[in-house]
Amino acid sequence: MDLLANLALGFETVLTPTNLLYCFVGCLLGTLVGVLPGIGPTATIAMLLPITFTFEPVTALIMLAGIYYGAQYGGSTTAILINLPGESSSAVTAIDGYQMARQGRAGPALATAALGSFFAGTVSTLVLAVAAPPLARAALNFGAPEYFSLIVLGLLASIALAHGSILKALGMIVIGLLLGMVGQDIYTGTPRFTFGFFELYSGINFVSVAVGVFGVAEILRNLEHETTREVLVRKVSNLWLSREDFRRIVAPVVRGTVLGSILGILPGGGHVLSSFASYSLEKRSSSRPEEFGTGAIEGVAGPESANNAGAQTSFIPMLTLGIPAHPVMALMIGAFIIQGITPGPNVIRDEPALFWGIIVSMWVGNLMLVMLNLPLIGVWVRLLTIPYRVLFPAIIAFACIGTYSISLNAFDVYAIVVFGILGYVLIKFGCEPAPLLLGFVLGPLLEEHLRRAMILSRGDPMIFLERPISAALLACAVAAVLVAVLPAVRKRRDEVFVEED
Amino acid sequence: MPFRKTGATLLATLLATGALAQDYPTGPVTIVVPFAAGGPTDTVTRLIAEPMSAALGQQIVVQNVAGAGGTLAATQVANAQPDGYTILMHHIGMSTAPALYDDLAYDPTESFETIGLVTIVPMTMIARRDFEPDTFEELVDYVTANPDSVTYANAGIGAASHLCGLLFMDAIGVDVLTVPYQGTGPAMTDLLGGQVDFMCDQTTNTTGQIKGGEVKAYAVTTPERLESLPDLPTTAEAGLPDFQVGVWHGLYAPAGTPEEVVATLSAALQTALEDENVVTRFAELGTAPVPLDQATPEAHARYLQEQIDLWGEVIASAGAGD
Amino acid sequence: MQHRKSVRDILSGLIFIGIAFAFGYAATGYERGTALRMGPGYFPLVLAGVLGVIGLAVVIRGLLAREEEPPLERVPLRGIILLLGAIAFFGMTVRGLGLVPALFLTATASALASRNNSLLRALLIAAALTFLCTLIFIVGLGVPLASFGPWLRF
Repeated sequence: MDLLANLALGFETVLTPTNLLYCFVGCLLGTLVGVLPGIGPTATIAMLLPITFTFEPVTALIMLAGIYYGAQYGGSTTAILINLPGESSSAVTAIDGYQMARQGRAGPALATAALGSFFAGTVSTLVLAVAAPPLARAALNFGAPEYFSLIVLGLLASIALAHGSILKALGMIVIGLLLGMVGQDIYTGTPRFTFGFFELYSGINFVSVAVGVFGVAEILRNLEHETTREVLVRKVSNLWLSREDFRRIVAPVVRGTVLGSILGILPGGGHVLSSFASYSLEKRSSSRPEEFGTGAIEGVAGPESANNAGAQTSFIPMLTLGIPAHPVMALMIGAFIIQGITPGPNVIRDEPALFWGIIVSMWVGNLMLVMLNLPLIGVWVRLLTIPYRVLFPAIIAFACIGTYSISLNAFDVYAIVVFGILGYVLIKFGCEPAPLLLGFVLGPLLEEHLRRAMILSRGDPMIFLERPISAALLACAVAAVLVAVLPAVRKRRDEVFVEED
Repeated sequence: MPFRKTGATLLATLLATGALAQDYPTGPVTIVVPFAAGGPTDTVTRLIAEPMSAALGQQIVVQNVAGAGGTLAATQVANAQPDGYTILMHHIGMSTAPALYDDLAYDPTESFETIGLVTIVPMTMIARRDFEPDTFEELVDYVTANPDSVTYANAGIGAASHLCGLLFMDAIGVDVLTVPYQGTGPAMTDLLGGQVDFMCDQTTNTTGQIKGGEVKAYAVTTPERLESLPDLPTTAEAGLPDFQVGVWHGLYAPAGTPEEVVATLSAALQTALEDENVVTRFAELGTAPVPLDQATPEAHARYLQEQIDLWGEVIASAGAGD
Repeated sequence: MQHRKSVRDILSGLIFIGIAFAFGYAATGYERGTALRMGPGYFPLVLAGVLGVIGLAVVIRGLLAREEEPPLERVPLRGIILLLGAIAFFGMTVRGLGLVPALFLTATASALASRNNSLLRALLIAAALTFLCTLIFIVGLGVPLASFGPWLRF
């Protein structure tokens, strides 16, 4: 069978001491920059790109890929432990992961993240190996109208991110969308909402927003009642998952993996949606949705798996067609070109050892990561026994340095202050920050695809309904709103009846 | 007392600046690239950064500041310290920006010191695989016959693909609906997916797709055929001799950068352009380093002025400068 | 019938409306364009409108609320000022002072945001953190930041 021969070739390529070493170095570095807020995989890969000049092409790409998916593992750690998400996917993990940590269940949360990610990594690597080229081709059927409808669906489904008022969640999404508009308009170059600040031309930095509305706002909330109660529960019950936990995470992990694998293939930014979509799906299909937002383990298992699966399959368009799904993949293409390989459909045929080597290295890397991360859980959890009055200055310090080091721009640090206060005030009034972050990430994409679709259709909005995939996605979006609103309406009506009885 | 102290400090600063220019470079040099990482300009920069770094004896950091057809990065470098530690790699967009943007925050000739030209990358006219025309002549006829239904993709205002499209439409006298993207990657994605009909982009982006048979290639916009794509006719062969465009790249320092520093950078650039690896890699991308006498501040400044005049006319006649 | 108002809903609704107004007002300055070629002002204006409506709905719901809500928590003014001031201070001084002094002062100020930290303890925390961060970011990750910046050089 071809597949077996190909995988054998891949293993042959990876299982050399050099390649194994650099695979490990990549994963380790990735975990590190993932744990530290700010720097992130894009900056790290850009920084390390010149060093890989001297490597064999396959070694260079194995290491760079390792940094990318390693960072997906690391990112969840900070989100769970100290509510400091470094990228949009970990913002979802923070919702329930951080609550679990506060209840002394940081160990199971971290273990769930690692195990879910490993399962997702394994399955999606297999997907890559079996069906990368046809999948990439199928994904090309997604044009601007489809992406627009997909994002609308994602936004409306994400009302589930909030466990409070739907109306306020919608409001937070729209604020996020508006904040995403800040910066130069990509179609005309007009600077928008920049108030003359040159630093805002390229938009508000995601890390500043995330650190502000999640990390800093949370610290300010905790300072409110520091005299009355201790913030973190120090008693850590157990590090490992109970039998009950295992039972609860199986289905979310599988569902998350499937969802993430599918979304990750879409080159127009589908993987951004994967963790948000998985969270919504889990909350909808759970028999106890009220637990979400207060430390439901499913809320960690699903999104983490979806995120890792999506990260893995986002390699598909790049490896098979030479088109980048996001900035990290664009850098990988740069790495290919610098190594003298022209990325494109020919890579599979002309460089089979490279292609299969990278794929197999992803599975090997995932194995290394899970072996690296599981023992680390003990260390991370011990960090939480540090008294909060010592921990929170450390969070502030990491947040400041991490944010500043992204582009050595003081403006990004000032932005933390603004979003810290905005987040604090809004959370105090019962609004939740996760939908805002989702809107912020998806806003520019939403506008870009809307405007492009309208150009392609020459101004005819019917294009969204005439194209079958787009129409189906919009129908799902309408259904998502109905599902979210109807129970609330019914509940209110019941309450009204009760009162009037 | 305070006055004397200030005077001393001032003197020390002056001395330090003098010493700086002599010893340059004493720290890492940042090359700002006005487009996203992984794109053609980024690749060209990263390829020459390596040997330039060796020649300068300092690390070179490549920083991507994408946005607004490259004017964002250019504005940033124009306002940077003129000490040679922040320089700009820019392409043809440097010469078209004055015509495309009214409120440009810099002047391409006044705000920068030219360091030298780097390479002139040829462009190719390509289309989705199932697009009807098979040859460049047929493409011209088809576009002329169906101006209301064809769509042309470009990588954003001021991108090479945008300029090439303008020149093409100018040459055949037809206006086509243009769909802007954020960079070549997304534009190519939609071209492969058949969402748009055709585009014109640098060989650095298109060679892999052309060789893989993913797109239909019509012509190359250089006077001669390319070694890397020998079967592709030139636009002149295909009957449009006026439609010639190359994406030239050059290095810039902020205005006021000391002459010695510019000379050091220019020398390092020339060393890099002779580097064997650079020559081979450039050839694989379908381009070549400029002759060394072009990689000088003077030749670069001359070329820049010519290009500004040329594009000023094309863009004005296309009515795209809004 | 006695209505209890929800202060939280009313205030957050007002914030929504305020943000909608700010963005909407700024957006009127940008070209709106047509449906075929939407200008830079089109989409933000639509969004600002939607946000305004949502904000209004939240305010109305707050005015009509019947449920008792717990009182708003005390605002930790000293903590907010110290913490946010510390972050802003870091942004202002990290290039000039360098990482070590800027971070030390930032960490001290933010540690003092908690009433549980004495000055001595804050200084200790700051010293340990500065050491740790210099090790991780400058030595370990090679982030291009000076330990001591140009303001401290002679």
